[in-house]
Amino acid sequence: MLKVDGICKAYGAQEVLKEACLEIGAEIKVLIGVNGCGKSTLLKIIAGIIEPDKGSVLLEGKDLTHLPPEERRVGYVPQHPALFGHKNVINNIRYGMRNGRGSEKLLKELIDMLGLNDILNKKPGELSGGYKSRVSLARALAPEPEIILLDEPLSDIDAAVKEKLLPEFRRVIKLMKVPVLYVTHDPAEAEQIGDSFAVMQDGRVAEINSASEAFEIIKKNKLISA
Amino acid sequence: MSKSLMQTRLATKNLVSWFFLPLFLLLVVFPLLALFGNLKADGIVRTLKDWYFWQSFKNTIWTACASSALGTVLAIGFGYYHLFHKNSFTYKLANLMNDLPAAIPHTVAGLALILAFGRRTLGFISNTGLAFNVFGVVLAMFFVSYPLCARTITSGVDGTDRETVDVARTLGDNPVQAYFRIVLPLMGESIFAAFVLAFSRALSEFAAVVMFGGNLPGSTQVLASYVFTKVEEGELEMAVTASVICILLSLIIVALVSIRRKKHA
Repeated sequence: MLKVDGICKAYGAQEVLKEACLEIGAEIKVLIGVNGCGKSTLLKIIAGIIEPDKGSVLLEGKDLTHLPPEERRVGYVPQHPALFGHKNVINNIRYGMRNGRGSEKLLKELIDMLGLNDILNKKPGELSGGYKSRVSLARALAPEPEIILLDEPLSDIDAAVKEKLLPEFRRVIKLMKVPVLYVTHDPAEAEQIGDSFAVMQDGRVAEINSASEAFEIIKKNKLISA
Repeated sequence: MSKSLMQTRLATKNLVSWFFLPLFLLLVVFPLLALFGNLKADGIVRTLKDWYFWQSFKNTIWTACASSALGTVLAIGFGYYHLFHKNSFTYKLANLMNDLPAAIPHTVAGLALILAFGRRTLGFISNTGLAFNVFGVVLAMFFVSYPLCARTITSGVDGTDRETVDVARTLGDNPVQAYFRIVLPLMGESIFAAFVLAFSRALSEFAAVVMFGGNLPGSTQVLASYVFTKVEEGELEMAVTASVICILLSLIIVALVSIRRKKHA
């Protein structure tokens, strides 16, 4: 169980997160919110990339709040694949497996499930957007992370490819049986990939029953503020 | 468009072309042409037969290489602070000091080096400390060329995708590992540019080199100081030949940078 408790973060006078709370079991929780609402900041705080001003991040009761990212065992898939351009696909995927993390069995499974066998020796520059996203996911999962964080991982992909990739991504992520936080602002994507849903507004997170509910809330709030 | 507006634009355009071109030709192109125009066969032969010229040529190449390598290595260290510790005292101080060597008169830089690494502090190494030997030349060249390295490396660091660093961190890299395994290999172009810029700056340095390294023919003399000596001796034709060789060296460097840029475009 991943527990995010009372996270606050401000950039100067702008408060991005105000007591954000979230609990995730071994499921895919989709966090929905408009662009710039603080979803990525929350993800980066969980990953340890950004320090929160207040609050805590707990995994199975263990406090991760002040641990550096390298000690957290987080699988992080950023918005743009951010592949290591000087390494080929297999070395990108293997990157996090140093220090005995992950297993050859899982690596093979990921490569097979994501259909990466034919491109293992290619450099990222030679790949299409869809394959880059697949490699980015495989790289995050290969070291067997204890938390998986995906920050709009398919935002660069066109709709047709996304349609094909989403079930594939869900199948692979579910294989890991760990808490997963998937950030998106696309309703269809949220419905297709998520087990449970949360909406982020005004720096706070609220649990909801469906992705469509999130978009209703966002729409209503926009009307009110207009 | 109104007639008066068109006339104003035309006048502005004419002003720029009438102002820029003649001044550029006069102040930049003409001095170089004057140099090449004074190149004489006799001067070339005498210079190429001069043992001291070849010593200064050799000194120039290796001291500029050594100082550029030193500058690039140090700038790579500064790049790490630029990426991960921008709020640290070390970074702020280093950043402030980076521009200083380029801003002060280079005779002052030479004097500072004498006081820091000369007889007074390092007299136990030799009578003159590190001054007035080739190591002094390297240090003087480094002192004036390092800021260029630091600026080039930091713009390279700024150009790398921050998310690749974040991902590397989540995959188990500490900041130093992420910097050396991910950031630096993707910065080959910037590292090369830093070295080359520092090399060309070192090549052209005179004041700090003469102040701290000296101008001992066959020992610490470099091309820039060789030219000065030859002018002083009244050997203008030899000075011109050495100067043209300096320019050719610079052109080779510019060509190298351009070829590499085209290759990576």
